[in-house]
Amino acid sequence: MSLREVRIMIKNPIYGFCMVVFPLIAMIFFTSLMDDGLPQDMPVGVVDLDNTTTSRSLIRRLDGFQSSKVVAHYPSVAEARRAIQENQIYAFLYIPKGTTDDLLSSRQPKISYYYNLASIMSGSLLMKDLKTISTLGSAGVGQATMRAKGFTQEQIMAFLQPIRVDLHQVGNPWTNYNSYLSTVFVPGIMMLFIFMISAYSLGMELKFDSGKKWLEMADNRMVIAILGKFLPQTLIWLALIFFYEFYVFSILGFPHHGVAMLVVLALLEVFAAQGFGIFAFGLMPSLRMSLSICSLWAVLSLSMAGSAFPVMGMDGALQSLSWLFPLRHYYMVYQICVFNGFPLLEAWFHFVAMIGFTLLPWFVIGKIKNAMLTYVYIP
Amino acid sequence: MSIFHRFVSGIRDAAYIWCQEMKQAVKDEGVLIFFIIVPIIYPLLYSWIYNNEVVHEVPVVVVDDSHSGLSRELVRKLDASADVKILCHAADLDEARSLVSRQLAKGIYYIPSDFATRLNRMEQATLSVYCDMSLMLAYKAIYQTAVNVTQYMGAEMQKKLSGKYTVREEQIQARPLDFQDVPIFNPQGGYGTFVIPAVLMLIFQQTLVLGIGLGAGTARENSPTGDLIPVHPAYSGIYRIVLGKALCYGMIYAVMGAYLTLVVPRIFSFVTMVKGMDLLWLMTPYLLACVFFGMTVSCLVRYRENVMLLMVFISLPLLFMVGISWPQSAIPGVWQGISWLFPSTFGARAFVRMNTMGATLGDVTNELRALWIQAAFYFGTACLVYGHQLRVTRRHTVSSNL
Repeated sequence: MSLREVRIMIKNPIYGFCMVVFPLIAMIFFTSLMDDGLPQDMPVGVVDLDNTTTSRSLIRRLDGFQSSKVVAHYPSVAEARRAIQENQIYAFLYIPKGTTDDLLSSRQPKISYYYNLASIMSGSLLMKDLKTISTLGSAGVGQATMRAKGFTQEQIMAFLQPIRVDLHQVGNPWTNYNSYLSTVFVPGIMMLFIFMISAYSLGMELKFDSGKKWLEMADNRMVIAILGKFLPQTLIWLALIFFYEFYVFSILGFPHHGVAMLVVLALLEVFAAQGFGIFAFGLMPSLRMSLSICSLWAVLSLSMAGSAFPVMGMDGALQSLSWLFPLRHYYMVYQICVFNGFPLLEAWFHFVAMIGFTLLPWFVIGKIKNAMLTYVYIP
Repeated sequence: MSIFHRFVSGIRDAAYIWCQEMKQAVKDEGVLIFFIIVPIIYPLLYSWIYNNEVVHEVPVVVVDDSHSGLSRELVRKLDASADVKILCHAADLDEARSLVSRQLAKGIYYIPSDFATRLNRMEQATLSVYCDMSLMLAYKAIYQTAVNVTQYMGAEMQKKLSGKYTVREEQIQARPLDFQDVPIFNPQGGYGTFVIPAVLMLIFQQTLVLGIGLGAGTARENSPTGDLIPVHPAYSGIYRIVLGKALCYGMIYAVMGAYLTLVVPRIFSFVTMVKGMDLLWLMTPYLLACVFFGMTVSCLVRYRENVMLLMVFISLPLLFMVGISWPQSAIPGVWQGISWLFPSTFGARAFVRMNTMGATLGDVTNELRALWIQAAFYFGTACLVYGHQLRVTRRHTVSSNL
């Protein structure tokens, strides 16, 4: 029976595309898109009406930051804002006329920085740079005065910044967005394909009316029929996911704690997703309906996984609904056990939920059998 | 036959094809789901997911080894901030870590035992912050709160130490160069305001293409020879077929487009700064580009399900290529080039800028030009592929008549 499935898979090119080509494209897309880890040299503008050595040194220092690159000078704030609207720059620094004069005569001048938060990531990264620059400008003055008065460097630091924040970014000290987004979105897309191909391969039996023959090969024992049909698919999916894990964790060096957990995670992902795909087909034994459900569910699950916008920030009802998405549990197990390296016990609920998804087809097995024996395909 | 006569018969045939397509869109569940139900439900779902916009009160554990008035003041101030909530005090870092591992807290603030001693000795003290990096928004909330609170407390201490006489002098002492932080276009940094406009435009394109593809798949399966174009006198010319079908899709999506761009943002009170006429100038080329793009794609699929397998997974990469989640300047050139193939890239960029950032038509000229070029290009390809399909159908009819 598995041989029959292999033959089907070789004959229909869609399997090759959906099980190998497209998932690999998605993997390469995300990992190469965010290859830098953090966006670098984002375009920043400057409105420097002061134009003194002090203001120019401030701008030079801003240019030196990793995320920012000063690409243009504008004569007024209005024009700089327009440049943001035209997508030429993402943020700008405004230094009004007389800033240096006021600074030297202790009249507390005020500079401003504007950043576009319609794109949160670039906005908040540039905000960090611009804020650092402005704080440094302030500290620079105090530092120069104190040094002139003969204080030591330690005294100066203790006076200017009495409490220092000592940051530990556990597991991702580089704030690498690649290891943070790719590790959810790529498995999410692979899950999408597992959902769809599981439903698709069952639906195609109906469409070409070969279901009866398939069941005959298993002597009408549904469990054996299903196992036989899905064995080759499972092996291909596992190979695909092991390759993905090897690529991101070994070649790209994303953080992980031990290979054993990666194997467990891959098994959970494949089984839970296949379980869901078969269940969706059993619920509505029609190719188009089950495929629609699978695709809509999979696309939603990318948001409901809560990796970008956290689930704890969503409404209460949505927090409970997130349990219905296998990707949510995958993400939690990944996050707890692989990324942070805590024991599997801490993720027991999500582990059990994924096993639950694996067992879902058991509820609809009779319905699938019925469909295979009696339904007539309506296009 | 006079030109006028041909023109009239062409219009009549196109109208007939339009009528057939309309009927099919309502009768075929697959098409109905993607043309009507998904564009109505999905934006509401996504808006609901992101409607809370920001994460407040991220739970954090405190390990206070200092047990001093100053450390308690620090903890009180951290707890009082909008973004962080002090979940509890832990006895040591191990206990705190176990709370993080049980997902009860997202980070740890550790105040070492010499915190107050050092401050009183006028030495630099430390607040250690340990963040669970699996959620970037939570990390940002924990870290930024720590920075803001320590800076505020530091400035207060500076003022006390500096021995100035007036409040104004103290202010200048603490911050000789004042600065103002101005986030624009999405001042509260809301996640929904940032991502929803792009998602809406993407839903528009993806459901349209999926719907057209499913419709084409059904047409092929209904035909005994597996042809896309049915045998009927009305289906006799390329232009009447392409225009008739485009008219049907265009009419449905004119309504859906209005719903997506005008109604949904208002239901959830997302930022909408775009003016009606400007929106029309953007949506017209976007609609045309999407319709003809969808018709071109629909000819490439043999079975109706294949279009789903093809189109669904690229939704997420397309969203990233818009350049909202990941800045456009950081997208590698290869992917930038590929992204030009899809109307959503330009449509979503222009819509985000006009809707969220209040740009005018003049500011998005490049995107509009690209959309018109795409509309023209995909109209050409749609005519080509339908011309090919028409020839295939004729060949089949001729051979079956023989």
